[in-house]
Amino acid sequence: MVVTTQNPEEATGVSITTKQPPRILLAKIGLDGHDRGVKVLARSFRDAGIEVIYTGLWQTCESTVHAALQEDVDVIGVSLLSAAHMTVMPELLRYRNELGIDHIPVVLGGIVPDADHPKLKEMGIASVFNPGSSVDVIVKKICELAATRKTADYDSVQDEYNKGNALALSQLLTGVQRGELPDNWKAPTGKAKIVGVTGAPGVGKSSFIGKLAQILCDQGKQVAVIAIDPSSPITGGALLGDRLRMMSTKADSRFFVRSFSSGGGPGGLAPFAREAIDIVNGFGFDYILVETVGAGQADVGIRELTDLTLLLLMPDSGDAVQFSKAGIMEIAGSFVLNKCDLHGADATEAQLLSAVGTDRPIWKVSTIRDEGLEDVAKWLATQ
Amino acid sequence: MSVKPQNKKSNDVTEQGKPFVDAEDRNGFDPAASLGEPGSFPFTRGPHRTMYRDRLWTMRQFAGFGSADDTNKRFKYLLDHGTTGLSTAFDLPTLMGRDSDDPLALGEVGRCGVAISSLADMRRLFDGIQLDKVSTSMTINAPAAILLAFYVCVGEEQDVSSEKLRGTLQNDILKEFHAQNEYVFPPVPSVGLVVDTIEYCTKHMPLWNTVSISGYHIREAGASAAQELAFTLADGMAYTEASMDRGLDVDDFAPRLSFFFDVHNDFFEEIAKLRAARRIWSRVAKDKFHAKNERSWLLRMHCQTAGVTLTEQQPTNNLIRVAYQALAGVLGGTQSLHTNSMDETLALPSERAAKLALRTQQILAHETEVTQTVDPLGGSYFVEKMTDEIEAKAEVIFAEIDSMGGVIKAIDRGYFRRSIAESAQASQKRIDSGEDKIVGVTDFVEEGTSEVDILQISQNTEDEQIASLKELKSSRDKSRHKQALEKLRDGARDGANLMPAIIEAAKADATVGEMMDTMKSVFGAYDGGPEW
Repeated sequence: MVVTTQNPEEATGVSITTKQPPRILLAKIGLDGHDRGVKVLARSFRDAGIEVIYTGLWQTCESTVHAALQEDVDVIGVSLLSAAHMTVMPELLRYRNELGIDHIPVVLGGIVPDADHPKLKEMGIASVFNPGSSVDVIVKKICELAATRKTADYDSVQDEYNKGNALALSQLLTGVQRGELPDNWKAPTGKAKIVGVTGAPGVGKSSFIGKLAQILCDQGKQVAVIAIDPSSPITGGALLGDRLRMMSTKADSRFFVRSFSSGGGPGGLAPFAREAIDIVNGFGFDYILVETVGAGQADVGIRELTDLTLLLLMPDSGDAVQFSKAGIMEIAGSFVLNKCDLHGADATEAQLLSAVGTDRPIWKVSTIRDEGLEDVAKWLATQ
Repeated sequence: MSVKPQNKKSNDVTEQGKPFVDAEDRNGFDPAASLGEPGSFPFTRGPHRTMYRDRLWTMRQFAGFGSADDTNKRFKYLLDHGTTGLSTAFDLPTLMGRDSDDPLALGEVGRCGVAISSLADMRRLFDGIQLDKVSTSMTINAPAAILLAFYVCVGEEQDVSSEKLRGTLQNDILKEFHAQNEYVFPPVPSVGLVVDTIEYCTKHMPLWNTVSISGYHIREAGASAAQELAFTLADGMAYTEASMDRGLDVDDFAPRLSFFFDVHNDFFEEIAKLRAARRIWSRVAKDKFHAKNERSWLLRMHCQTAGVTLTEQQPTNNLIRVAYQALAGVLGGTQSLHTNSMDETLALPSERAAKLALRTQQILAHETEVTQTVDPLGGSYFVEKMTDEIEAKAEVIFAEIDSMGGVIKAIDRGYFRRSIAESAQASQKRIDSGEDKIVGVTDFVEEGTSEVDILQISQNTEDEQIASLKELKSSRDKSRHKQALEKLRDGARDGANLMPAIIEAAKADATVGEMMDTMKSVFGAYDGGPEW
């Protein structure tokens, strides 16, 4: 098949109950790094109009299921080429059921001997795809499974949200994204410090947020992240990969991450970003970190939504001339020079200093080496 | 069969659409400069003058599963059936530098290879196999220095000095960042560790092949033939530069570098790729690195048939795919070959499938007579044209990498991963659109299930491994163990060559995971870079 059609209905002939793209979480569990298949599928799903949240390598059953809850996906897809499926899949289902999200179907792809297929089906795996399964067939199945999703009863979801149920928070965020929330409902006022994190692609925004959030959580704070990635203007599909930098193998209830596609919204933001932030805020977090798509010079919309914006840069990311350009540099409340383990950090810092002066702090950070992040956290607490 | 006007195919030969290549297309072709004789610069026709007439390629079948004892038995089986070199597959936890009792190892101990967490495991793996009588290849990367140390220690216990040890360490961490994802530390200290092993082997293990610079995984992850060729040779250049920066003389270490390529389906393109690899490397070694020793110029390679081309459907068809690919590897002049087993899309090879894979090579070597003439395709209009073309494509890629500031900078930018993922996606689209056919999958499909018996790994391995680790940890000399790890940490901090400290730690029964964690505390853990 050709995965270039405009939307899932055309691609597959499956009728989707909602205008919204189906959402799937794709996970690799365990140590197996063979990710060709999952990456090809992730891209093919995006091209078929599906929103894909990829959680990256080396995940556990626990981390995968928690991610599925926070992302409120329609389907969980697991890729396993390590032959560990008969150990891993029962464990995954056990966690899923424990968290109360047994309504989310699980599919498996990988090297699975025929003899194991019926056993997997019996334990509750919705579908098993082997090497050689056509993308067409897989997309069709995913869309079918997504179509079985029921629209939430938002009255009872609101009650659960008020009680502090993370699944309800997650479902309300789906509601706001899909435009399903009752008009009269408004999130309670929150107390969170809302921090924007922006910067060009590849500077390490997600890794930085993941590490910073960890430090804040360790201080007993509740931290939420809203990560916004671009969606395809043609298919409506999206490949949401920010989350994978923030995953840890253990789930932490103080840390909530939700990925959104921008839906073509201006300034690198989703059109419902304001409401989504309000819902997260009303839930009672101490910090909300908003990551926006790699900011260009003109993408300054994030300033409207946040109390403070951090601009991430990296060594050799631009010379003094670029630093002095207006726009994105001006909205930054502070600069984070990430990847300071790389050569050229001091020179870049000097260029930055001469371009922006000393009014706004410049933090030197290495997320790989866990250096400099504590200082940023301390400073944020004073803002 | 008619020639279809498809311009994406590598063997769609000429701009004019003429269905063959002839002298007209080869204006300016200079055989003396482009080919030379086999065994002489630029080695296009082969690294040795007599090639398979005097010495067949090494039939090296990759094996490993379950516990050290299980794999030890398989090694002995393969040696009894005429295999000429051992090749060790480690399980995922070992490959990732984690012990069998690590929480992330759940369900993966001994599954895809043998579980080795300590010197004690390594001792059992080679029990009854004299290390001066075999050559051993070890497919291991992030913790390569540790497994090498284990091997040295086992040799020492058998009274085989390290000068006599023969074998190959894959030890190619760069392609892990590009493709296979079995990295642990960030790129710079990772390459530093590779250089530590190169430096150590140069001084103490003259017969050991220090790095097997691998395109295989790059290709399997989706790269094109030209990308495989260029990325692999670029990695080779990066290791050479890093070793020279350490103060090593290129002629002291370059002869022990070897390469590892995939042999995919496009028969002539694969042959051209292997021939071009030798030519490019010899020129790079001579002109760029100013190597004086002819042995530094010649690229020696191992090849493996392409696992990614095998299908679950009609699995016996895989025997035929493998045979053609093996022929391409031999016509391309490989020094060593692994033929995949027909059941590898289903599970680890069964004994029967592994034996058939070996027989495929034996038939090729002893019955087809392709070994009688060196580089039989040399001078073919078509093959020479393809060799030139793939070399030219590689040169474009080298220039791209140079413009980014070299291999490490290109990793930092996600260049390799992005390029490979784009190629993988493009090839999937060609399959989905019907442009590329796969027998038994897209065409000539049969209903029904697979017809081969597969290897089952005992569930007990994991429990047994964990129990034996527990026993090791409680019985070892605690203060010696602690001191050895502290020394390793200090060495990492001071930028010392870590091989001596790793050997000491191995003897103190430090585990793979403990040594890796110790180094991680200094080097940091890599997050995969900007592209995933």
